[in-house]
Amino acid sequence: VRTMVAPDSLSEKVSQSIEEAKETCADDPVSGECAAAWDEVEEVSAAANDARRKKKEADSDPLEVYCKDNPETDECRTYDD
Amino acid sequence: MAICTVYTSHSLNSTCSIPTPTKTYLGFNQKQVIFFTTSKRSNRRGSSYSTEISCAAEKTVVIGLAADSGCGKSTFMRRLTSVFGGAAEPPKGGNPDSNTLISDTTTVICLDDYHSLDRTGRKVNKVTALDPKANDFDLMYEQVKALKEGIAVQKPIYNHVSGLLDPPELIKPPKILVIEGLHPMYDARVRELLDFSIYLDISNEVKFAWKIQRDMAERGHSLESIKASIEARKPDFDAYIDPQKQYADAVIEVLPTTLIPDDNEGKVLRVRLIMKEGVKYFNPVYLFDEGSTISWIPCGRKLTCSYPGIKFNYGPDAYYDNEVSVLEMDGQFDRLDELIYVESHLSNISTKFYGEVTQQMLKHADFPGSNNGTGLFQTIVGLKIRDLYEQLIASRTGAPLEASKVK
Repeated sequence: VRTMVAPDSLSEKVSQSIEEAKETCADDPVSGECAAAWDEVEEVSAAANDARRKKKEADSDPLEVYCKDNPETDECRTYDD
Repeated sequence: MAICTVYTSHSLNSTCSIPTPTKTYLGFNQKQVIFFTTSKRSNRRGSSYSTEISCAAEKTVVIGLAADSGCGKSTFMRRLTSVFGGAAEPPKGGNPDSNTLISDTTTVICLDDYHSLDRTGRKVNKVTALDPKANDFDLMYEQVKALKEGIAVQKPIYNHVSGLLDPPELIKPPKILVIEGLHPMYDARVRELLDFSIYLDISNEVKFAWKIQRDMAERGHSLESIKASIEARKPDFDAYIDPQKQYADAVIEVLPTTLIPDDNEGKVLRVRLIMKEGVKYFNPVYLFDEGSTISWIPCGRKLTCSYPGIKFNYGPDAYYDNEVSVLEMDGQFDRLDELIYVESHLSNISTKFYGEVTQQMLKHADFPGSNNGTGLFQTIVGLKIRDLYEQLIASRTGAPLEASKVK
């Protein structure tokens, strides 16, 4: 089973970088610093969304998840012919 | 001392007589040469491109896909790899945060891996990831060129979770290499390497609506923060990313619908597929009659559509001084009948059997955009790329000594 960074810690990072970006831009809203700060927000938001999507996909079908680990059980066995 | 591993891929029809294994465990036809050298040059980050291949090996076909982050690149990639068959998976056993996807025929690499500055580095230098200064185009060029010539490379990994540059991963030359990211057509040398290029052009209204859907659930995000993020990145986006669309062979433009007045939900979309004319091995799709200007509403006696219906437009146009054909779809599908009805009226879609577009769309009914023009046009572009790939390979094996070039 692949381990992944918990989306929770990424969520934390998103709100943290939003706060930072707001602070940075309070002084000078058109500086390179401000753009870089909001760019970081975009990057971590995208990463958080990606992690959410992967998690959702992995959990979408409980039977599929179970069968990955237990392919020999009655409810999981499939034959091609 | 450095160890270099060189992989060369061979076509079954190539002129050299090295026996090709039918299948290795990685699905590549390869010859492995390991040599030891003390030269300083081979310590250069991740490439052994100075090696020469002495026979007419099958070359990798390189496709470039440009789009902003959060604009559906990954959905497009999944549709594209599905057309070629087989699921695309991250490299097995490697870095769990690798951005690469590998299937039997296709390898997709994310150009963020060529960031020269990591997250902290960009902050210190006060630049965004969109800025060319944050990217290493020399390494990008070297490695894409090496892969195109059938040489494996050690490509860095940009970790989107930590914001750091991780140790490199080995990328072997695939049949089809897709480079996706913010700058695939920015550097002229990299652009020259592309056999086909696509730009996903999402209008500001739709971008805003999509990011609200993506981020509003996230703690800390608000309408203001989403807006601020888009606004702050816009100057760099307009300066460095947007101009690339003039070089694209196909542009998929996503705009708000005109069927519903003042719609800003971003659910109903007007999507335009802009196809460059005169690109070798790429024949633009057309509706009813090639070169005419046509407006078509498929809904009527033969087809029932729910509100707001579907509207197609097709016709020749000019785009950045290029002659193009534009196919446009506004509205969304409710049921399968509509899609097969539409597919049967399109020509030059490069399907292998009647209904292939519909079948591909049905296979991924759960992907975003499956009920509107984004999914339809992404699927069609996928089929056009398969067609282009097959023609390119056929032309090379037909005349193996002739250097193939698309544009």
